[in-house]
Amino acid sequence: MNSTADNKTKTQVTRRRAFSPQDRLTLGAFIGIPTALHVLLVWIPAISTILLSFTYWTGIHLDDIRWAGLANYHNIFFSTPVFWDALKNNVVWLLWFGLIATPLGVLLAYQIDRQIRGHAFFQTAYYIPVVLSLAVTGIIWNFMLRPDGFINGILGRDITNPISFFGDDRWNLYVILTMASWRHIGYIMLLYLAGLKAVDPALREAAALDGATEWETFKKIILPTMRPVNIIVLVITMIESLRAFDIVYIIYGTSGAQVPILGTLVFQNISGEGQSMKGAAYATILFILSIGPIIAYLRQSFKEDVK
Amino acid sequence: MSVEQNGVSRRTLIKGAALGGIGIAGGATVLSSCGSKASGPMSFGARTVDESPTKQLKGLVAAYEKKSGNKVTYNATESNAFQNNLSQYLQGTPDDAFQWMAGFRMQFFAEQGLLEDISDVWKDLEGQYDNSYKIASTGLDGKQYFVPQSWYPWGLHYRKSMVKELGLDPENIATFDDMIKMFDAMKKKGLVGFAAGDKGGWEAMGTFDIINARLNGYQFHVDLLAGREKWTDQRVIDVFKQWELLLPYTNKNVLDLEWDGAMQLLLQKKAGSTLMGSWFGGNFKEKSQEDYDDLWIVPFPEINPEHGVDTIDAPIDGFCVAANGANTAVGKDFIKFAGDKEGMQAMLDTGVPMTSANKNQDTSTYDAFQKQQLNVMSQAKYITQFLDRDTRPDFAGPVVGPAIQSWYKNPKDVNKIVDSLQAQWEALPAL
Repeated sequence: MNSTADNKTKTQVTRRRAFSPQDRLTLGAFIGIPTALHVLLVWIPAISTILLSFTYWTGIHLDDIRWAGLANYHNIFFSTPVFWDALKNNVVWLLWFGLIATPLGVLLAYQIDRQIRGHAFFQTAYYIPVVLSLAVTGIIWNFMLRPDGFINGILGRDITNPISFFGDDRWNLYVILTMASWRHIGYIMLLYLAGLKAVDPALREAAALDGATEWETFKKIILPTMRPVNIIVLVITMIESLRAFDIVYIIYGTSGAQVPILGTLVFQNISGEGQSMKGAAYATILFILSIGPIIAYLRQSFKEDVK
Repeated sequence: MSVEQNGVSRRTLIKGAALGGIGIAGGATVLSSCGSKASGPMSFGARTVDESPTKQLKGLVAAYEKKSGNKVTYNATESNAFQNNLSQYLQGTPDDAFQWMAGFRMQFFAEQGLLEDISDVWKDLEGQYDNSYKIASTGLDGKQYFVPQSWYPWGLHYRKSMVKELGLDPENIATFDDMIKMFDAMKKKGLVGFAAGDKGGWEAMGTFDIINARLNGYQFHVDLLAGREKWTDQRVIDVFKQWELLLPYTNKNVLDLEWDGAMQLLLQKKAGSTLMGSWFGGNFKEKSQEDYDDLWIVPFPEINPEHGVDTIDAPIDGFCVAANGANTAVGKDFIKFAGDKEGMQAMLDTGVPMTSANKNQDTSTYDAFQKQQLNVMSQAKYITQFLDRDTRPDFAGPVVGPAIQSWYKNPKDVNKIVDSLQAQWEALPAL
């Protein structure tokens, strides 16, 4: 007992001694500068946005800010039907990413990891869209699918009679989702592939020796060993679905009642002269919806660091 | 325009004190820029990157540089991006003079103290403009902040050769029913009768404006946009019902086309007509002189005999001086030149079609299409700007635009849509 206690104090003492004043300065700078920047550039704007969502303001003169209480939120929940459409679209987005795009990315990663023929080619091909920003992705797809675009051109349809990819309510959300998935799949594939490379090949070998099928190996061996990566992939899927904005904005601009999503509602209400803090309220709602997955994500990454 | 006048009483009542403060801030810059000799370099912000208007504006800039000896830097921004960033732009380091629109959209920024008071410029331009232009250039505080450049009427555009071939005569259609008959004839030939695009969310506002004015009259339209009438009024629902009668003759992909998509339908002879502002004459001219000569405009026909064709949407575009500009004195000198007959002539001399807002302009050089625009304009008793300039900017863009788009998606939802419009109007903060 005594000796352990002694040991403890000893280690504590040595640890404390290990930091020379210079070390402390270095460490202080390493922690302090990013923290200061983070507070300045992330927390202050975020908290200001939350506070502003309870006010009326045109965004120009500080002395024009007036307290609004919950009026912006009341307006959103009870008078703005497009909010519910947008929320529904974000949920569809989440389901699509969660059930289709992400599993596809995982499947591709698994295939490539199994070194199927031409895997290097596939890997590059699937990963190329990730290198492009979403804005560029939007522009490329717009060239393809707009009324006077490439696809309508090769189908021989002119602008009186095109397939209305972006205009028709029956499928335009799914067109947008396909565009977004084009990039998301590659992203997930890469993340998962990195995880798979780290799986001990001995586990697989053992499973094969025990006569497990490919599916059983994946389900019972690979998937559980990949748990940390799985969680990161899941969280990224959720965040990507909630913060979706770029593609819809590129295709539809600010108005975009064609495919309303929360991200465009934020922008629509804080851009231009129509600036109002209803946009801040949308942003706060989006923030609250995203914070859950983000916390889960951070906790997971910290847990690993501790390990 | 009476919207604005009415806005004065309402705003001054609520905001009297606050205005004083802004006035002082604005006043300081006015004083500093009082020097009569304006010289030095300046910059000009254009709200377009399109070929024809750029040519026109560069013509103006060149003429000003030549006359004044002041160097002008020309900065162009794509029009949507310019609008979205204008607030930040004016608060930062804006160009000295920039292109903007009259009505609410100018008044909002004037109210915020971001535009330079140019009442003295107006003293020099006084005799050159009708009073209606001065009213459109005046802020809520009674001072001027805007110099008009051009205007364009919103009307039914068509190609003379096409209607001739079909044996139709849009110039003699008097009523809405006649127009429908004309559309029927076009439809039989496999044409889109009434081409429309509303991808941007603002294009179809012009159709709403004109049907409302024809059906319910100018006064109701203006009162509705100023909030003195309710969107849930049966008369507003009737506007959408009337509009629905046009849908069978409209292209199916309205929400997939922007204004230029609708224009392309007409340009490529796929559509018989489209309701739009005449600004796109330049685009026709870019294609060929022949296409431009073929273009014609008539007023949207009568719906309710009580109101005839007495109202027209004729938005005014023009110039403002930014209060935060580096050289506001030269900025003012520049827009004075732009608003003057001489500056206007420099723009007209570029050959890009434009209808000058200056009443002393020599219209003898106008071509037939420009003269027809004047003719269409002169038939109207009341002039409105456009929905997004005649009502609050925080209502037009984020609320009315998407509402009309939703209506296109499902016209049967009209009751739900007007309910939501009214609810969102009521939820707006008092100005």
